[in-house]
Amino acid sequence: MKKNLLASLILLSSVNLFGAGFQLNLQGIRQMAQGGTGTAWPWDASTIFYNPAGLARLKSIQAYASIAFVMPSTAYGSSMSSARTHQQTFTPFNVYIGGPVQQDSRFAIGLGVYNNAGEGMKWDDDWQGAYMVQSINFNAIMFQPTLSYRISDFISAGAGFVYGTGTFDMTQAMPVHGLNGPQIVYGDNGQAHLKGTASGVGFNAGLHIKPSDNFQIGLTYRSQVTMDVTGGSAYFTVPNSLKDQFPNTHFNTFLPLPQVASIGIGVRPSEPLTINFDLSYIGWNSYDSLKINFDQQTDALHNMHAPRHYKNTWVPRIGANYKVSKVVSVMLGANYDATPVPDNYVSPDLPDADRVNITCGASIKPFHRFTVLAAFEGTSSLKRSGKYEYGNFEGTYKTEALSFGLGVYYNL
Amino acid sequence: MRKIYAIGAFTLLFAACKPSVSIITAPTAGQVKFTNYLAIGDNYTGGYMDGSLTVTGQLNSFPQRLFEQFSQVAEPNGAKGPFIHPLLHSDFGYPGPKLVLGYRHSTCIWYDSSLAPISYPYFTADPIDDQYFVSNKNNGQINNIGVYGLRVVDYPVAGWATAADGQGIPYARRFFYDAAATPQDELQHRVDNLYPTFFTMWMGMNDVLSYAIKGGQGDGTGNALPIVPGLGIYNPNDISPISAFDSAYDKALNTAIFNGASGALINIPDITLLPFFNAIPSDGLILDRQGQADTLLAYYAGQAWKKVFQPGKNQFIIKDHNDNIRQSVPGELILLSCPIDSIKCSGWGSTTPIPSKYVLTTDEIQFARAAIDRYNYFIYTEAQLHHLAYVDMNKYFSTLPTGAPFNGISYSNAFVSGGFFSLDGIHPTARGQALIANKIIETINSFYKSTLNPVDANKYPGVQYP
Repeated sequence: MKKNLLASLILLSSVNLFGAGFQLNLQGIRQMAQGGTGTAWPWDASTIFYNPAGLARLKSIQAYASIAFVMPSTAYGSSMSSARTHQQTFTPFNVYIGGPVQQDSRFAIGLGVYNNAGEGMKWDDDWQGAYMVQSINFNAIMFQPTLSYRISDFISAGAGFVYGTGTFDMTQAMPVHGLNGPQIVYGDNGQAHLKGTASGVGFNAGLHIKPSDNFQIGLTYRSQVTMDVTGGSAYFTVPNSLKDQFPNTHFNTFLPLPQVASIGIGVRPSEPLTINFDLSYIGWNSYDSLKINFDQQTDALHNMHAPRHYKNTWVPRIGANYKVSKVVSVMLGANYDATPVPDNYVSPDLPDADRVNITCGASIKPFHRFTVLAAFEGTSSLKRSGKYEYGNFEGTYKTEALSFGLGVYYNL
Repeated sequence: MRKIYAIGAFTLLFAACKPSVSIITAPTAGQVKFTNYLAIGDNYTGGYMDGSLTVTGQLNSFPQRLFEQFSQVAEPNGAKGPFIHPLLHSDFGYPGPKLVLGYRHSTCIWYDSSLAPISYPYFTADPIDDQYFVSNKNNGQINNIGVYGLRVVDYPVAGWATAADGQGIPYARRFFYDAAATPQDELQHRVDNLYPTFFTMWMGMNDVLSYAIKGGQGDGTGNALPIVPGLGIYNPNDISPISAFDSAYDKALNTAIFNGASGALINIPDITLLPFFNAIPSDGLILDRQGQADTLLAYYAGQAWKKVFQPGKNQFIIKDHNDNIRQSVPGELILLSCPIDSIKCSGWGSTTPIPSKYVLTTDEIQFARAAIDRYNYFIYTEAQLHHLAYVDMNKYFSTLPTGAPFNGISYSNAFVSGGFFSLDGIHPTARGQALIANKIIETINSFYKSTLNPVDANKYPGVQYP
C-alpha cells in the first residue's frame, strides 16, 4: 500500500503578487506642458490620442514624433527600515501621422503609436519588501489607426481601433534559503522571475464641438484595454532540492488598462492665450485582483491571487498656451491625479498616492511647417502611509518624478 | 563661479528627485525601565531550535531580539547590556547534533528518498560545550536563564539540574550556579545578581508538552503524582497538577518582581497546533484500489469499532492509551516522532496499529487543551494582580494555521515550509523567534505606553534547503 506522507511537506507560502500598469500622460508634448489637457483643442496630430475627432480639424496631414525622459524615484520608510528605488530613466515615445486626406476634405485618417501605460521600479534585492517585489517593469505601446469625419463646422467625430502590445518583467524574493550552501548567509533568498509579452485591443472615440473658434468642447471615451500575458516565462532560482517543486514554466495573467471618459473645454479669451480644462473619469475598478496562473503546478507552486480593489478616480487638469510671437509659444499647466489605490491595498510594487503634477513647456517654429516642442513635468506625490493587508506589509511612501519631453512635427 | 552654480543647480534638480522617508523614530520606554532585562523561561526562551541547542539558536532567541530593541531606547531607561546568554562554543548542536534538511532514504523502497530533517552529518561533540559556563561579567551575570525541559512544577525540585543532566538534558547543569539547588533558587540567585528592572516570563509549556510529545502516557487529568515520593518530581509523562503549577508559578513570579521589576507574562500556546502534531495527517492511509480496502475490511471484520476503508485517504489504525485498537477519527493527531519507515514499509497504521505513544487521541487532546486553558487563566490572574503585561501568545499562535503574513511572507504552522517552526516541529526558527518578539513588543507598547520598534523578522535565518 502506498502511503505518500511527506509529499506535501515542503510547501511555500510567500504571498505573491505583482503590479498594475499605470497610466502615463505624456502622449503629446504641448498637452503634457499644459497639465495633460487636450480633449477640447486639436493642437496637432497627437489629437489622435487626445481626441480622435480633432484629426478632421487639422489643416493638412502632419507627421509628429516625440520622446519623454521620465525619472521617477520612490522612497519607503517603516519602523523597521527605509529604502529608495534605484535611479532609472524611462523613455516613452509617440509617433503620429494623419490629417485630412485632401485639402479641405471632411475626412481624415491617421495612425498613432504611443506609450500610455508603464511603470518601472527597482529596489535593493534584500530590502524590507523583497518578498513582495524586488523589481518590476511594465511597458505598453498602443497602435491606433484612426478615422475622423467633420460632420459640419460645428461638430466632428472620430474613432480608432487600439491594439496594445507590451512587455512585463518582475522579480520577487522567495523565502527559501541555502542557494549558497549550508552556511547561513544574509539575503540568501530564492527568486521568482516572471517575464512575458502582453497584448490587448480596445478603441478610442471622441466628439469635437466647435461653437466658435474661441470656444471648443471635446468628449472622449477610451475603452479598457485588457493586456493579456499568455505564455509568459516563469523562472525560479531555488536550492536544488526544491527544483522539482518550482519548475521553470509558463504563466498567464492579465492587466486591465482602465477605461477613461473625458470632457474638455477650451477657451481663447484673447488671440494669443488659450486655456483648457479637462476632467477625466478613470475606471480603475476593473483592477479588482491580480491572478497568475501557472501551466505546471506542484504541491508548492500554486496559482496566485492577490486582491487589489482599486477605485475609480476623477482627474481634473488645467493648462494654458500663450503665443508669444509667430515663432514662440509657452505653456503652463497642472493636474491632480487622485490615487485609485485604497488604504489597505498600498503595495510596494505600485505604491501609488495622490499626485500633483506641475508642467510647463515651449514650442518654437523655426521654419515654415516645422515645429519643435519641449515640456517639463514635475510630479510630487503626497507622503502616503498605507498597508497591504494581504501581505501585512506596512509603510510610508513618497514618490517624485521629473519628466522631460521633446517633440517635432511637420505639416506635409 | 558660474560653473559651480551650474553644478549646484543640477545637483538640486536631482536632489529634488530623491525623496526620502525615514520614519524610524527613537523608541521611548513609557512606564518601564529596560535597564536590566532578565529572561525567565524554558525551551523557547533559551533559543532551542532544530532539535538541539546551538550558538545560532541562542543568539536568535526572542530575548536577544527584545534586548536589541530595548537597547535602542536612550539612557537612562534603555537596556544597557551586555545581555549574556550561557553561550555554547559550537554550532553543531549540543549535546547531540542539530537537525538539518537532507535526504532520508526509505528502508524498503530503494528509489524512495525524500527531503526530510536529518541529524547534522558532520557533527562532532565539542568538549568546550560540555564545560561549565563561566560568565566573566559583573560577578557571573547571566540574563537569559531559559532552560530546555524545565517545567513550572520543577521549580521547587532540589537538584533538578543534576537530575535532568542524568536524563541527557545537560543545559541547566552547564550554567546553574548550583546544580544541587532548585530552579527557584537559581532564579533567586539571578535576581539578586542582576536586579532586573524588566523581565519576561514564559513558563508552563513543558508542563503539557512533556505529556503530549510522548503521546499522552499519563492519565492526563492534571492530577499527576510525584514519581519519586518525597523528591517532588512529578511524572514527566503526565500533565502537571494544577495546584502545584499555580504555587510554583506564583513563587517564581514573586521572586522576579521582588525588586519592583516590570515585566511581561507570556501565556501558553495551544501546543496541539505545533507541526510536531500535524506534519503527519491522521488520514494518511492511502489506498489505491478497492481491493486493498476490502482486504482491510476483512482483516478487521471481527472488530466492533466503526471502520471506513475506501480508495483514497483513510484514517490510520491506532492503539489508544487503553491499548484498544481502533481506527483513528478526524482531529486525532499522529506525532512526528512516529517512524515514517514503519508506516511506509511495515504496515503501521493499517495492518499494525500505530502505537499509542505516537498518537494523541481526542480525549488526550482535550486534556492538554484543558490544562493549557487552566494554566493560562492562572497566568492571566497573576498578571492582573501584579499589574504586569499579559502577552496572549496563545491567540497569536492560533492565527498560524490559516497563515500569519508578515512583510509579504505568510508564516504558518506547516512543517518545514511554514517558516515559523524549525525542523523539530516544536521550536521556532530564528524568524519565528523574531515574530514572537514582535508580539511581545506589541503588548509591552500597549501596556506600558512605550514605543519600541518591531523587528524585521524576515532578516533572520530561515530553513536552509540543500
